[in-house]
Amino acid sequence: MPKRRISRMFWESSIPNILAGDAAPQASSAAVPPMDDEAFAAFYERSARSLWAYLARTSGDPTLAEDIMQESYVRFLCLANPPSYLAEGEIACRRYLFRIATNLLHDHWRRPRVGSIEEMPENLFARADEHFSSDAQMILGPALAHMRPRDRQLLWLAHAEGYSHREIAEITGLATASIRLLLFRARRKIARLLQNQECASQARGRQA
Amino acid sequence: MILRSCTREAEVKALVERGQWPQACAPDLRAHVDVCRSCSELALVSAAFGRARNEALRTAKLGSPGLLWWRAQLRRRHVAVERISRPILSAQIFAIALNLAVAASLAVWQARHGLAWLTWLQQVSHDFNSQWLGSILPTDLFSAGSGSLMNPLVLISAFSILALVGCVVVYFASEKQ
Repeated sequence: MPKRRISRMFWESSIPNILAGDAAPQASSAAVPPMDDEAFAAFYERSARSLWAYLARTSGDPTLAEDIMQESYVRFLCLANPPSYLAEGEIACRRYLFRIATNLLHDHWRRPRVGSIEEMPENLFARADEHFSSDAQMILGPALAHMRPRDRQLLWLAHAEGYSHREIAEITGLATASIRLLLFRARRKIARLLQNQECASQARGRQA
Repeated sequence: MILRSCTREAEVKALVERGQWPQACAPDLRAHVDVCRSCSELALVSAAFGRARNEALRTAKLGSPGLLWWRAQLRRRHVAVERISRPILSAQIFAIALNLAVAASLAVWQARHGLAWLTWLQQVSHDFNSQWLGSILPTDLFSAGSGSLMNPLVLISAFSILALVGCVVVYFASEKQ
């Protein structure tokens, strides 16, 4: 009868290299990042600007956009079932990242506001001015301010990022069929606002 | 609401995305956009969003990807340790609950049987007093008031304090690890 070998087990050994911060490829799916650090750095360089732009323009707050962007990347790297960078490609990873950021932004909007305006730092407004002082933003900013947050997101994803209705549905969690109608309404509304602004600025120019 | 999309919207969108609207646009398409509400709205909105996006990409200030990678590593490790600790914590809670239940049932059982062990303990302490302590210490030091200094209550208290100190030492030792 073969002797059974009993080895002493430590809790650290149940997750390999846990104390070193590494992860074994097949041992635990929760501990496997979707890409290595070099691939992540390259992915970050290519995707972070557009993600920041999306968050900053839809939230209207560059500081909040920065916070949510960082949290989105960290959550993306900690996903239990992340999209594989090699198998599904960068587009899938980028779409997933936008989805995480959209959910975080929704969570932020749902959260009750407890702070008063006196508690906000002065440089918050200075930074916002610096970011939103461009001509393009001077035109689009006031129009976007009149739109609902969801409409802002849909418009940005469709017209700035160029996502299809199916991709927008994946990112926002809405049904593909309703995206078409929501986008149509949002586009009509913002077009009217932009036209009004254009007329107003032309009138001001004539008066000057 | 009736959704009517123009068949030439794709052409307009492609031109705007390539940055060729309106300069590099064919005259017939331009004439169409002037009269088609859907296409004119699309051109206006897409051009405005395209310009805003380019401007935002230019002004974006990015942090270090290494810092984010490090933060993610820390969070992953924290989650993994938490996942491992959860069953250990459950086992500890279960053990404490079991001990309390046993202690409670023992107390009930002893109360029903008249605490016979206390008389035995009293006998042991009395023998200890007379045989050991009596030979090395003066008798009036440990014989005070109603009876012996080494009565059962003192013994129980001493054991309790010892157990408590032992638990605290074990707790601090495991925390340090």
